[in-house]
Amino acid sequence: MKKTHRRTIQCKSVYRHICDNLDADLNSQKCREIKAHIKKCKNCTAYLDSLKKTIRLYRTYPVPTVPAKTEKKLFAAISLEVAKAR
Amino acid sequence: MVNTTSHSPDNTLIRKAQAGDSHAFAELVKRYEQTVYGFSFKVCRNKEKAEETLQDTFINVYRKLDQFNGESKFSTWLYSIVTNNCLMRRRKRKIDEQMVYLDEPPIGDDEAHDRLTIPSWNETPAEELMRGELRSHLDEAIQKLPLDYRIVFVLRDIENKGAEETAKILKLSVPAVKSRLRRARIFLRERLNDYMKQ
Repeated sequence: MKKTHRRTIQCKSVYRHICDNLDADLNSQKCREIKAHIKKCKNCTAYLDSLKKTIRLYRTYPVPTVPAKTEKKLFAAISLEVAKAR
Repeated sequence: MVNTTSHSPDNTLIRKAQAGDSHAFAELVKRYEQTVYGFSFKVCRNKEKAEETLQDTFINVYRKLDQFNGESKFSTWLYSIVTNNCLMRRRKRKIDEQMVYLDEPPIGDDEAHDRLTIPSWNETPAEELMRGELRSHLDEAIQKLPLDYRIVFVLRDIENKGAEETAKILKLSVPAVKSRLRRARIFLRERLNDYMKQ
């Protein structure tokens, strides 16, 4: 009887897939295999978690609001530009 | 005088501004100044540079407004101007000493990669983000990321732009956007790993 050898999915290809499809809930055969692998693999779970945390940290990093002085300078520069155009 | 522009859709303001209505243009600036300033800061991590980019961007918008034909969203057009200004700023500098190059593979050889034990990262409460140490690690890591990759990361993962819109903004293909994003995510994750791991 012919034996069918199935290549086990390797962590490296999981990492690549994770990076490309972080938030997508994809349902292809490959995605299902990858999700199944991640469930069993501590390394891949930790890697996925760290990638998500990286993005979350940058997303929640406080961003300054436009200072009043900066806005004033901006509108002064625009007024100059408008005057030049007339 | 009653302000009749403050709730007008972008296209109405743009049409009025294109016809010479300076109040309409001012309203457009007020509507998007935080978007532009915030984006510039996220890319360059410096308030002075963000301020300069803010000014350059709206001067460019004023000068080129008659070229905007409404085929794309105004915000897409605006983002393409501000990203171009961020890139122009880099070209004017002689060397950006902080950036490294992403030619080398981010992780070691295949076998070693599969043998590595990936440590878990600490949980980071929101308060900790306010602390200087973590913020400076985040700043340092992203400033080392080459600007072309940094802009893609900021657009996709922080500004939540889709791959197609990002591709339009940067005049790249969608696969190029995906490739840069993947490498940016890996780069930043690697740079933060030593600080974050348990």
